[in-house]
Amino acid sequence: MDWAGWAVFGLVATAALTAVMTTAQLAGLTRLDLPLVLGTLVTEDPDRARLAGFVIHLGAGQIFALGYAAVFALLHRATWWLGGLLGLLHVAVALMVLLPVLPGLHPRMASHRAGPASRAVLEPPGLLALNYGIQTPAVAVLAHLVYGVALGLLLQAR
Amino acid sequence: MRPIADYGLLGDTRTAALSSSDGSLDWFCVPRFDGEPVFGSLVGGAAAGRFRLAPAGEASVVERRYRGNSATLEITWATPRGRLTLTEGMVAEVAGRLLPATILVRRLSVEGAPAEAFVEFDPRLGEHHAAPRVRRRGEDLVCEWGALAMSLSCDAGPVVEVGRPTPFTVTPARPVTFVVTVAHREPLIHVDPATAWNLLAEDEERWRAWAAGIDPDMPFREAAVRSLLTLRLLTYSPSGAPVAAPTTSLPEQCGGVRNWDYRYAWPRDASIGIAAFLQAGLVDEARGFLWWLLHASRLQRPRLPVLLTLHGRYPSAERSLREWPGYAASVPVRVGNGAAGQHQLDGYGWVLDAAWVLVNAGHPLYSETWRALRGFVELVASRWTEPDAGIWEIRGDAVHHVHSKLMAWLALDRGLRIAQTHRISVPQRERWLAVRDAIGAEVRERGFNADLGSYTRSYGSQDLDAALLVLPLIGLEAPHSARVRGTVEAIRERLSAGGPLLYRYPPGSDGLPGTEGAFMPCSFWLAQALAFTGQQREAVELFEEMLERASPLGLYAEEMDPTTGAHLGNYPQALTHAALVQAALALRDLRASSGPSHRG
Repeated sequence: MDWAGWAVFGLVATAALTAVMTTAQLAGLTRLDLPLVLGTLVTEDPDRARLAGFVIHLGAGQIFALGYAAVFALLHRATWWLGGLLGLLHVAVALMVLLPVLPGLHPRMASHRAGPASRAVLEPPGLLALNYGIQTPAVAVLAHLVYGVALGLLLQAR
Repeated sequence: MRPIADYGLLGDTRTAALSSSDGSLDWFCVPRFDGEPVFGSLVGGAAAGRFRLAPAGEASVVERRYRGNSATLEITWATPRGRLTLTEGMVAEVAGRLLPATILVRRLSVEGAPAEAFVEFDPRLGEHHAAPRVRRRGEDLVCEWGALAMSLSCDAGPVVEVGRPTPFTVTPARPVTFVVTVAHREPLIHVDPATAWNLLAEDEERWRAWAAGIDPDMPFREAAVRSLLTLRLLTYSPSGAPVAAPTTSLPEQCGGVRNWDYRYAWPRDASIGIAAFLQAGLVDEARGFLWWLLHASRLQRPRLPVLLTLHGRYPSAERSLREWPGYAASVPVRVGNGAAGQHQLDGYGWVLDAAWVLVNAGHPLYSETWRALRGFVELVASRWTEPDAGIWEIRGDAVHHVHSKLMAWLALDRGLRIAQTHRISVPQRERWLAVRDAIGAEVRERGFNADLGSYTRSYGSQDLDAALLVLPLIGLEAPHSARVRGTVEAIRERLSAGGPLLYRYPPGSDGLPGTEGAFMPCSFWLAQALAFTGQQREAVELFEEMLERASPLGLYAEEMDPTTGAHLGNYPQALTHAALVQAALALRDLRASSGPSHRG
């Protein structure tokens, strides 16, 4: 395992992923705001939530990077295209597993079954997070490709 | 064809159904307000399906009402043998339990002797009235259309067959409960009728508790509570989006072409709802609307979309359903809404005013919210000189609507007021001040017609516009000034449709064939304007006259035929109910400032 590379480049790749998502959001391509979604796990103030969410996202990115590093070590190779393939797998899990189950975990996210007593203000992501804009899946795929390719280029296969 | 006002609203804040006084559920979209109808005979004819529970023979309606301050509807018929009562509603609170997202409960009970009834269950999905694949699961009937499934359960009743009226007997000791559950892209969850009935009763209590939180001193409280409850039923809980109405293409003129799809959310309506809910004491609902507004408009900022889907998407292209005969032969039946692409300047004013109402009530804005609002103000400051489509969304060339300019002024003014307690740079404040004053000066000069003694519909026009009834509220001119009172009086006189009713603009001047009814929100706006200009007696009288024009269940469509008193347009209409609440609030405030003189 490339532990030193994981410690440094996991952060770099997560920052790159966040940058792509934020840029797409500012460009009006998606309403998916990962720092906000994650940060509102701990606070309802959107500005504080973004800060907290960014830290949580960096932590989550490190955990995922550990998986990438482990796969590279197992295969004894680390290439940009292998990182990209892992990025595609990663985004598939994120869009089809993690985000859909989020309403069950998130205290401030409504589900499609929310009723009048619900005080949850974040709307559910829905299938492939399409509730956050029709281009959201494309943006998420691009961001995770960047993440995977970055790790594939930067991590060592040991 | 039943009159539009004959229908009662059933809802769970995710979707809604319309039920008539002959026990027919003629409109029900699943799984959401904007989904495809499974019972669509309201505008789709018999082939579009319905779900009827009714007395089998001769019967007359004895009573029809919502139970207390709840969403449970009750209708009682006198039959030759006994009194048959249909109690129906939808279960709103299903989270946290193994329950389907959609539960519709309908129970027939009888007093006196046993009575004969029948059930006709004929679900047909969507544009092509697709018949379901039907199977039985025990005693339940299961209808499937791919990812959508619907079950019908019934206790002690008949063996129901799809599309075939089935008679049965209701005895005093054994009411018959029917339960419809719906699943979309998830497993069907069956709910037995006794459990469903208990869930409905729990929901009823929750609605009563919710209504108890509404200002006890609200004038005309019963009507205001029904309106607020209707507004809440029309708010899609998973995202907080308020739908303008649960229907599409109920006509603004019977046999006419003004048939639009209102199953979308208009930021303008959300803004009016914020003020209505907040001032009635329902703070969570008000904040929910503002959050939805900001979240939903995120992709287009700083442009404020005219309307959005329930999840903040751009609506699909407007199209007509060719095979649908329409309500009272009013075609086309449309889905989608072509107004989505318009530029409407007034929306920004509504949003900024709503935010100001929140701030003024002691609810400071998050900095992100304030950033978004500043963006809206900046957009108005840069585009206010352009013509727009205006509040009435007329599908013609854009013009300089005076109402839009007034609302642009309002956006700047409320932005400046909020900026008194929220951070803004000095140059930006000065720019806003300059623009606000420039708009005010231009509107006073070009928007007022001295011969008419009134502000006009657009620059240089001789026509009036009932939307200008906001004038006394916004602060551009003193409510008691000659110009404001002259405008209110001119609108009252020249746009009168008889009695308390007003046309929104001179009928037939929207470029479409035919005409339309009186626009009911305008009458409540007039009552509000009269209250703001200190004409309390006239305001109360007008309000009371409008209450007499409600449907038997206290609901309002968008428009009314001035000759027949028939409700027209999509129903029930959130804007009309929000306007009713605003007028009641204005009367409350007037009463508070002038001492007690009226209590509705």
